[in-house]
Amino acid sequence: MSSKRWLVALVLAAAALAAFVQPAAARIKLATLPVRERVEIQLENENATLVEEERVVALLKGTNHIDFSWTNTQIDKWTILFRPLVPGDTVRVINQSYPPGENALVWEVFADNAGPVRVRISYIVGNLRRSFSYRATAEADESALTLRHYMKVANFSGEEFGTAGVYAGFAGVFQKEMGLQESKEVLVAKFDKVPIKKKFVFNWRTGQPVPDEPNQRYVTMQYVLKNEKPQGAAAPAAAKAGEAAPVVLGSYPLPFGKVRIFLKDGKGGEAFTGEDWGQFTPIDDEMKIYLGLARDIKVERTVKKNERSPIHGNLFNQEVIVQYKMQNFKKEACLLDIEEDMNQLRNEFCGGAKDRDASWELLGQTSDKGHVERKSAQKIEIHQPLPAGPKEADKKPDFGLFLLHVLFKNEW
Amino acid sequence: MKLATLSLIALVLVAGVAQARNIDLVTLPPRDSVQLTIYNSEDLTLVRETRSITFKKGINRLEFSWANTLIDPTSAYFRPLEQEDQIEVLDTTYPLDRPQVLIWNVESKFEGQVAVEVSYFTSGISWSADYVMITDAGETKAALDGYVTVVNNSGEDYEGAQVRLVVGTINLVEKIRQLAQQGLVQRDEADRLERAGVVATRLKSDVVRGAVVTAELYDDRQAGRAPVIVKEGLSEYFIFTVGGQQTVKTGWSQRMVSFRTRDVPFDVLYRYRPHQYGPAPVRFFILANDQEHKMGESPLPDGVIRVFRENGRDGLSFYTAQSTKYIPIKEKIELAVGKDDQIVYERVVLDLGRQNFIYDEAVRPVPPVVGWDETRKWQEEIRNYRAKPIKMEIRHVLLGDVQFGMEGAAVKLYDFHTPEYVLTLAAGEKQKWLSEGTFHLGGNQKQNRVRMAGE
Repeated sequence: MSSKRWLVALVLAAAALAAFVQPAAARIKLATLPVRERVEIQLENENATLVEEERVVALLKGTNHIDFSWTNTQIDKWTILFRPLVPGDTVRVINQSYPPGENALVWEVFADNAGPVRVRISYIVGNLRRSFSYRATAEADESALTLRHYMKVANFSGEEFGTAGVYAGFAGVFQKEMGLQESKEVLVAKFDKVPIKKKFVFNWRTGQPVPDEPNQRYVTMQYVLKNEKPQGAAAPAAAKAGEAAPVVLGSYPLPFGKVRIFLKDGKGGEAFTGEDWGQFTPIDDEMKIYLGLARDIKVERTVKKNERSPIHGNLFNQEVIVQYKMQNFKKEACLLDIEEDMNQLRNEFCGGAKDRDASWELLGQTSDKGHVERKSAQKIEIHQPLPAGPKEADKKPDFGLFLLHVLFKNEW
Repeated sequence: MKLATLSLIALVLVAGVAQARNIDLVTLPPRDSVQLTIYNSEDLTLVRETRSITFKKGINRLEFSWANTLIDPTSAYFRPLEQEDQIEVLDTTYPLDRPQVLIWNVESKFEGQVAVEVSYFTSGISWSADYVMITDAGETKAALDGYVTVVNNSGEDYEGAQVRLVVGTINLVEKIRQLAQQGLVQRDEADRLERAGVVATRLKSDVVRGAVVTAELYDDRQAGRAPVIVKEGLSEYFIFTVGGQQTVKTGWSQRMVSFRTRDVPFDVLYRYRPHQYGPAPVRFFILANDQEHKMGESPLPDGVIRVFRENGRDGLSFYTAQSTKYIPIKEKIELAVGKDDQIVYERVVLDLGRQNFIYDEAVRPVPPVVGWDETRKWQEEIRNYRAKPIKMEIRHVLLGDVQFGMEGAAVKLYDFHTPEYVLTLAAGEKQKWLSEGTFHLGGNQKQNRVRMAGE
């Protein structure tokens, strides 16, 4: 190894420290350099990586001075802890001091008895980071997918850890060789047959415009999967040696990471169908993955009525009818979700943006109030089933119409 | 593919020996097949290679490296095509000091030869669609040809590859080119760290890179026949698979016929929408991507269309070149071919009157006008100098609180502020008609919509 690598030295001060010894009470002891027995890298905290080393230190009865120093590694010295793994208080840290101008500290450790003691030294280290990603392979019918969850550990800390236990906060501990200046990616978990819902979404405000069609926007496609335990799931198999125990979906929150989706093409191969940032997803919540545009569904939005009724002074009600005209050119039926923001709709027809939420209700010409879901006081979603296009070559898909008849109340 | 640029080296480690390793070099397996799946909505190509690799029981280390081509290392994926339950990738290592390299640690319970697939994303290859439409002199039927062009700017020659083209818009959150170049940036960081005294752990370096076997050039195109493109739907996308195996060298483009149709009927429609198309009527050719129009096999990808007309003298006139959007199966196709000098549309304000004034009586001595109505009478005229009848759709956007009426044609509201009507004119015919709009302005404006007269 190069002389410049970081090294941990446990060195007892020699006779030079005798001048600081309390008479008849503490003695300066010398211990041989212990071998690192075990290392565990804790990556639970996304902002800080904790390294825990375990060593067996030979202590003599009385005061022992243990010197800990490092080079070319970003250790936060204020986070270094020395914890003897012995019951009671028979070995205790009396003092911890930091010499000036050095990457080092000295523990003053008192042992009631002489002998080997297992200790754990932990510290926060910089430039040792983790990130997550997912690879999903959907079945050809898009009813379920296999989800692989990966963790990548990038070690640019300046230290080689050898074979270390790596723990991300879930799915057990991986034993991996953590070399210097490299990234390592491991499979954290594989979830088979995860049910997915395919969602088609139309949003007038955020949708991509269709060229030459000012009243149209493209429909987007999403996969939605739920981070929940599968019904009747069997207990996971035991862990293999050196590997983390298998887990089931729904046993931990899914962390933020890029999700890449592939789709089986029915011929033994796969096609890449898109990627998105998978947001942090708590247990029992849904992860929505936006994949791209569904250009075989056409939606045209026009406003058919815009009528104001004065109440008093400048107070008025505004009656608006928005028409959505839809055509499904796909061979399969599907459900289209039309998202509307009632504040933005109010702003469009009631004189511009306001600093208050809209007060509104649906009126009688709304096509089917049962299809309108109130997600919040201001956001609605219209769930409109679209039949499959006709199989006959000479028949075009029918137009579906949905009218949203809204009264904005008490505006000024 | 230039075989010196991609190498897959198998380093086989004897199982169970952690510290003292016997590193064996397995001869580099030749590539059995390559498939390119090229996307037109993003700079992205999915490359899938299959090879046969001999595994030993225990840990096998496979080194995958590349040079002079942009590969996204985060996309590289290894999977066995046989003995799947016997072979498992334990982890993937990306050494900082060796960009464009990654190492798979693969545990195998099987000993012997196994077909495997390596896939990854690369950048620099794209494809696009274009169309050529040639109408007959009478503008009733047309020949329509569709093409797809593959452009290779990747720095890599692709020979003997199966090519698939994806029609559809996918979402990417990071560009492949940027991800591929990030590894090169990290090399600079490794240099800096090394100068600062940080030494990287080297992999066991007594590995000799094997020679890369040259792929055979495949060409199963029979003399005189262009490759057939097969179109199949997959989820929201269509995949165009080019028959046979193709060779696309770097820097080159290859244009292939996607479809050819003859005697495709179409209609001609004129539209006057000044708010959308400008001050003159625009002529449209209307057809559809369906069997009636001798198409309908697959969606038409977005691209460029060039429209010509036979001029009756064995020559062509050029109409327009324009972008076209994606057209689903059975959807209509509308091609705007520009103004037509043989059709004249004029609209003049014949009369203007103001009435119904209201005043702010609180202001003295002269109360100002704060509201009034303004009535405009328009005269519209269309003159058809063509030798065949025409149909014209007209829309006017009228902003504000307006009452509108028109003699003759049936008028309906396209939306809350846009009256719309359709007229047909015989060959050589002229039509003139009157319409009237009353605008309630200032304090007289109570609404923001058009109300039809008589409502």
